[in-house]
This record gives sequence, C-alpha cells and structure tokens, in this order.
Amino acid sequence: MKRRAFLKLSGMSAATALLAGCRSRNEKLIPYLVPPDEGITPGRANYYASACRSCAAGCGILVRVSEGRAKKIEGNPSHPVNRGKLCARGQALVQELYHPDRIVTPLKRSGARGSGNFTKISWDEAMRILTAQLKGVQVRGRDRLALVTPPFNGSLAELTAEFMKGMGSPHHVTFDLQSPEWLAAAYRENYGSAALPYYDLSETRYVLSFGADFLEHHLSPVHYGYAFGQMRQGRDTVRGHFAYVGGRLSLTAASADRWVPARPGTEGAVALAMARVILQEKLHDEGSLSANGIQAGSLLKGLAKYDVPRVAEFAGIQPQTIVELAKDFATTTPALAMVGEKVAFQSNGRASFRAVHLLNVLVGGLNRKGGIYPAAGPSTSATGGYAGLATLVERMRAGQIEAALIHGNPFHSIPVATGFQEALAKVPFVASFSSILNDSAMAADLILPDSSTLESWGDVVPVSGTREPVVGLMQPVVAPLHDTRQFGDVLLATAAALNGQAGAGQQKTYLDYLKGSLKKRGAADSPAQWNELLRQGVLLGKRGGESAQYRWSGGGGTPDVEPPRFVGDQKQFPLFLETYPSIKTNGGAALPWLQQLPDTMTTVVWDSWVEINPKTAAQLGIAIGDLVEVASPQGSVRLPAIIYPGIRPDLVAIPLGQGQFAGGRYAKGVGVNPLVLLQAAAEAGATHPAWQATRVSVRRISPEGNLVMHGHPQGSYRSELVGV
Amino acid sequence: MKKLTSPYKWGMIIDLDRCTGCGACVVACQAENNVAICEKKEISEGRNMHWLRIERFWVGDYPDVRVRFLPVLCQHCHDAPCEPVCPVYASYHNPDGLNGQVYNRCVGTRYCGNNCPYAVRVFNFYDHTWPKPLDNQLSPDVTVRPRGVMEKCTFCVQRIRRAKEDARGAGRMIADGEVQPACAQTCPSEAIVFGNMADPQSRVARLSRSPRGFRLLEHLGTHPSIVYLKGGGREHV
Repeated sequence: MKRRAFLKLSGMSAATALLAGCRSRNEKLIPYLVPPDEGITPGRANYYASACRSCAAGCGILVRVSEGRAKKIEGNPSHPVNRGKLCARGQALVQELYHPDRIVTPLKRSGARGSGNFTKISWDEAMRILTAQLKGVQVRGRDRLALVTPPFNGSLAELTAEFMKGMGSPHHVTFDLQSPEWLAAAYRENYGSAALPYYDLSETRYVLSFGADFLEHHLSPVHYGYAFGQMRQGRDTVRGHFAYVGGRLSLTAASADRWVPARPGTEGAVALAMARVILQEKLHDEGSLSANGIQAGSLLKGLAKYDVPRVAEFAGIQPQTIVELAKDFATTTPALAMVGEKVAFQSNGRASFRAVHLLNVLVGGLNRKGGIYPAAGPSTSATGGYAGLATLVERMRAGQIEAALIHGNPFHSIPVATGFQEALAKVPFVASFSSILNDSAMAADLILPDSSTLESWGDVVPVSGTREPVVGLMQPVVAPLHDTRQFGDVLLATAAALNGQAGAGQQKTYLDYLKGSLKKRGAADSPAQWNELLRQGVLLGKRGGESAQYRWSGGGGTPDVEPPRFVGDQKQFPLFLETYPSIKTNGGAALPWLQQLPDTMTTVVWDSWVEINPKTAAQLGIAIGDLVEVASPQGSVRLPAIIYPGIRPDLVAIPLGQGQFAGGRYAKGVGVNPLVLLQAAAEAGATHPAWQATRVSVRRISPEGNLVMHGHPQGSYRSELVGV
Repeated sequence: MKKLTSPYKWGMIIDLDRCTGCGACVVACQAENNVAICEKKEISEGRNMHWLRIERFWVGDYPDVRVRFLPVLCQHCHDAPCEPVCPVYASYHNPDGLNGQVYNRCVGTRYCGNNCPYAVRVFNFYDHTWPKPLDNQLSPDVTVRPRGVMEKCTFCVQRIRRAKEDARGAGRMIADGEVQPACAQTCPSEAIVFGNMADPQSRVARLSRSPRGFRLLEHLGTHPSIVYLKGGGREHV
C-alpha cells in the first residue's frame, strides 16, 4: 500500500488538524482545480494526537506531519499530565522513527552469538522459526519459556500477561532499575494503597524532597516541571520554598532554595529527627495524627533515639539545619515531603520511605490541597520485578529455560551482578523485539523488529501526574517506514499459530485487542466516537471518590532506620557511589539530539563522566577531564572526571544510560555503563537489592580523558558578570 | 513605498526562578529549525551549532554551593552589534524588531559573530549531513544552511510569518499567545514567555515590568528584546 493511501485510511478522520491557534480549519477548504495527492495540502501540516511511552510519565503529544513525514513533536495541550509541554526525550521521538540504523526486516543470526552477523529473512520465515521454537518448548515443559520486557501498562500489560498465562509459564519479568513495583509496594505498606503519589506541587508552599528528582526522572517530570513553575511564580503573593536532602546536588536540587547534603543512607534518620523536633515543639497537626491512628506521645517516645545532635553527626550535617528544616516544614502550610529512588535503593530504603512519609502525616499533608494524594496510575500492577528476575536467572543458569523473548534492552539495563547476561548465554533460543540493534538484540538468535512509537497503535497510562484516570492513545502518524511489526501483533499471531493454546487468540490484530481493552475501560464504541478519541488522543475518566485517599497504615509503630550497609570495605573503597538515570536511559543514548544536548549540570556532550568534589579531587590529584578508574568490589570502569562542587566529598556519581557496545552509530562505544560496578547485595528476604549501596575507589590514570564540555570550565564561576 | 513600521515588537521573558535547566528548549529549537547534529570533535572545537544554550553557573563552595541557570539565545537587540558590521546586509533589523539573518546573502565573514557579546551566532564550519532516513525530519519551513553561512535564533520567524498570514486572512491582529517559538511552547515550567511587547496588555509586556527584570549585559547598550526575571528569592523561608 502506498504511504499516502495508508495515511488516508488510518488517520484521515483524525487529521482535523489542531493547527496553531487551536482553531478548526474544516470550514475553510480551498478548492483546487487539480486536487493534490490524496488530501495532502502541500505546505500545510497536519497535527496528529498520540502518546509518548519513552518513560512512565506517559505524556500526550501532537505530531506535526507534513507531506506524510513526521516533523516535530509537541505536547498535547488537552492532555492533563503535560498540558502542551514536553521534555527533550519526547521531542526526540522523531529521531527514533527516522534513525538510520533501525532494523528494517526480521533478522536471523548467521554468525556466533554477539558477533552481530545476521541474515535478513521474511516475516513468514521469522514467524515460522518463532512458532516452531515455542511449540518445542510447549512439548518439553511449558515453564521453559521466559518473557523479559520493560514494565508495560495498559493493554500491552494485559496482552503480555494473557500470552504468558496461555503459554503456561510464570517467567514474565518486567524489570526496571528504578522499580516502580517496589515503589508501589512501599506505598501499599505505608498507606494501604499501591497508588503512587500525586504531589500537589503547584498549590504547596514548602516542598521537601529526600532524593526525589522530580524535575528529571521521578514519576512525571514534565507535569512536576509545570507544577514547579506554578509553585514558584504562578501565584501572586506566594513563592513556594523548596529544600532538598541528598548527597548530590542533582539537576532538581539545583533549583532548590536549600540543599542539605546528608550522607547517603541517612536521609530517613534525618526525617525522623525532624519528626521528633516537630513533636517536641508541638508543631504537628493533631487532627491528622488521630485521623491516621497515631498517638503523638507514644510516637515521640519511640523516636527517642533520633535526637538532633546524634543524627546530625550521623548524617554529616549541622544540627541547626535539621531544626530549621523541621520548623520551616511544620509551620509553612501547606507543605509536602517526597522521597525518591535514591533513598529507596539504600539497604534501609524501606524504613527511610516510611520515615519521610511520616512527616507528611505529622503536618497533615495527606489528601489535602498542596499535599499529596494517591495518583490515578495504571491498575495492572507490574509482575516479576527483582524477585522474578532472580528466579529467572537461576532457572536460566540451570538450563531450565529454552526460549527467551526479550523486549527493550535488559542486556544493558540490568546490572551484571545479577548474572542475567551470563545466564542468557545458556538459553538455546533468544528472540528480540528491538527496533534497533542494541546490546540485547546482539545477544539474540532471531530479531522481530518492533515498530517505532510514531508507527504504532497503543495506549499509555500515566503512572503519576494526574488524579483522574487518564489513558493516552497512541496511533500511527506515518506509514511504517520499514518492514516491521508491532510487538503486540507478533504476540497475537504467535498465540494464534500455536492453535489458540496460548490464549489471547480471539483478536486478529493488536488494534482490535486495543479497542477491546479500551472498551472495558469506558472508551467509545461507535466509529465516530473512536475517531473523536483519536483526534483528542486522550481518554479522561472520573476521579475516584473517598476510596482514592491515602490513610496511614500500621498505626503508631515508629519506623526504625538502621544505619545503612554498603558493599565494599571502607579502607579499600573509601567513596560512596551514586548512579542516576539520565536523559540517555530508556534508549535516549541512541538519539543524536540527546547525545549532543549538553548535560545541564556538567555541560558534557557525547560521553559519560564521574562527578567528584573539588576537595576529594585535589587529594587524589585529579583535574577536570582526567581519565580515572572507578573500581568497586564488583568491577571497574575508566571514564573522565568532572570536578563537581555540588557533591559530598565522600561521594562520587556516574550517570546511567551510556556504555553500549552496540545500539546504532550514535550510542555505540560512547561512555561507560556504571552498572558493572554494582553488586546485587540482596540479602535474605530482601525484595530488592540496594543499588545505591556500593563503595568505590577512584584512581587517576592519565590526563587524556577526552572529555568535551559545551561550557567553559572557568566561565561557569563568573555569574557576577551577567548578574544572575 | 510601504512604511516600515509594524504594530508588533516581538519580545521574550525568561523567568530564571522557574527555569529548571531541563534542556527541553534546546532540543525543541534544534527540531524546529533544522539545527545541525554536531559530532564530539566539532563541539570540542567550540563549534556547537545550538541556537539556544543553557549556561550554568556555580556560586559558592561546598556545602553552601548554589547553581544558577541562564538560557541564552539571540537577544534580538534593538541596537544590535552584529548588524552594522555585516558587509553584505545579511544581518539586518526587521520592522517587528527581529534581528534577521538572510542566509543567501551571507558570505561568511563572521564579523557578526565576532561582534556579538552574547556569543549566540553559530557558523557552519562544516557541511552537516542527516544520514538517510534522518533527513525526513527536516522541517520544510526552514532552510537547511550550507557550509560557510552564519546562523542563529530567529524567534522561529517561520511561525510568526504563518500566524501573520492567518491573522491577515481573518482581518485581525495576532492574539497574545497565538504564536510561540518552539522553546517557549515546550518549556515545562513556562519559564519562557513570548509575545508582542508593543501591546502593553500582553503577557510579556506585563511581565517585563516586573521588579525582578533585567537584561543580559545591559550596560553594553544593546537594548535586547529579551527580559530575564531574576531567580533565587529568599534563601530560607
């Protein structure tokens, strides 16, 4: 089918063009003597609504399509999560579509695994190979199949779950280093509801963040970016205050009024010391405490060991800071406290989480304007998680997994210490659904390339960033560029080819499946309503009533934040290591715009780096741009050093996302992957490993770090010249 | 001859108290204006092609260290140092107050870039390519600049032109907020606001009267069209 014919069929009704100025142009059709090709007006762009699935935030987008080609991604103004705004990652979706190194047809491995030698095959042959393999697995043992995907939500989560249920295998692992399922479990433990929080940032007057980088990657960065602007300058007489507790001055923390560089793993103790001050000074909200079943007196007694001088020394900060924070937080109403992944993935993360949220209860910040509410996230909870991954690795090692289906890039994004990569080599058949030849696809025997976001049908349920249930609808805005098929379609076809044994066999295409799934969630039935839904790109639901409220569970039992434990001997590995997600995670490293975008804090382009405090660097004889070796008990990496004034002297930090050995011309060989440094310190009964609890040593190697920065290192200290 | 006056004076407000340094504006600008993709080597030579950059300043020492962000783009000065030095009138001032750049007049003397105190003009030292099919993303509204040509932020003049045509067709003025450059459109925290400074009721005109307002290097007398609003505020509550 011609691209233009396809466009006309699939989306013409949706083309009613939200043009600049948001006016409908329908009434102003210009008659042509010779009509241009199939409804396309040269020089006039169409705007199609779709959704972004590059991170869990799930923003709505409008794609400007000119002469059948996607040109520019803009935020969808009618989407409640991002309100017409968009981040750099979302803008770069168009490069995902037109990436010069996309996989254009199904591929079959022709050399040794990892050699990158593949032969092009047809979809018929690829499906034959896939179904033959899966049939064999079904005969030999149904639990010998594994599916590894990123945490999907919406209909794709339903479909993968149904598929695996039909296949009779429990090994469906949805792993993400920032484990949303861990966060959900933590919220269930504290509030009896697995809903992730919705921070009412725009209405609050005091934000206290414990390692939650809500302007970068925590939950819904675009939404909270918008809310942050409102909090600062959106109200006439109020300027919201923002304090940040954490060892590294992140991009988010850079916008804070006050930065409290507490030692890693002590954030929870700081929160409890604050709670003690609030209770002692009787600044707490009595009504909120009794409504949540907490008795102030007994709580204060339970917090006896968190006295300010002791905790201040433990955290390496001034006692006065804790007292000031506590008083400011309790006396500025409304206030909210948030806690992020950085704190969560310490060995005492669970208790720290509870400690911070206790602060919200103390000042009555639950379910209140300017406080925190439960968000309307996806109802389908992610499966697998870290526990599932550990089980799967064990089974793979034992040779009990015969076929592994892989979506995304787990080969690169799962720490080596879990043994996943080495165990995957033992699996006789690995199929990848990657659209680019990334590290995971390199380890596969068969590649069934998925279509890109802008060529796909789908639904995207935002994980946070809204209190009303929202479904973003993804539609193909251009005809498929290459001979690719959507992951959902391949799963359905596979299930059908296995004689319906694999369930999910009623619908022929993923589009039908999607429509069915949306109907269940209250979407439109008739073609007219469906077209309207495509035009809007977003399906809005009604807010849940009283049930959608947080309530403290577990009563007055005080959280006990133990001292954090770290991997690595303190003498040999004197520094703490922090790894943090960057714009290059989730496939961003493959996109040249994002590689070229200077990291705002360091202005580094096209590289990885390690951030070191100036004092520490001087002690170690390291200058900016030097090549250094960062070693942990697990492994080592060599990368250039950045002298970073905003980090504790006993902490170093490396961004995630780079360091692929494949992944297209723009990602290949750029930077390093710090995940090789992390040790899976999963203890007995632990549901997640403490990814942030690794110690490292840093050693200077040579002055040739080959570091390129956009900004001038000296210029970055001369703010008085421009008066900012 | 048509009189060279205009009811529009385009201007921009950048609220540094809202700016979070996320970088969305930089990529949006690159997407909208066919800005070239630069290799590491090119940037190491100081030849990055971005029209908009975020300057980052460190203030103070650990632990009392602070960070200031400053998005810098062409200031569209009303007394622009780049204009009088161009021997071929490639750099000129248009009636709307935009500092224009005519690519097919430019002969690449780089005098304008040399004279710009904000260092926002970028020169095509190399022939830039978009490996197929990446060239499909190029916007048809904006020229792809060849080697040897100076380029810079245009306040997304192609969007302004389109809005003007639409408004003229309907026999009205461009409404406030109707036209936005790509950076302002995408800015999550709404730090960037664009509009007509000649209309005292417009959002930019109202914001420009804020006591927090200042202009970049204003002592040079360039009279920029961009007003920054100071960030920071109270250090403690």
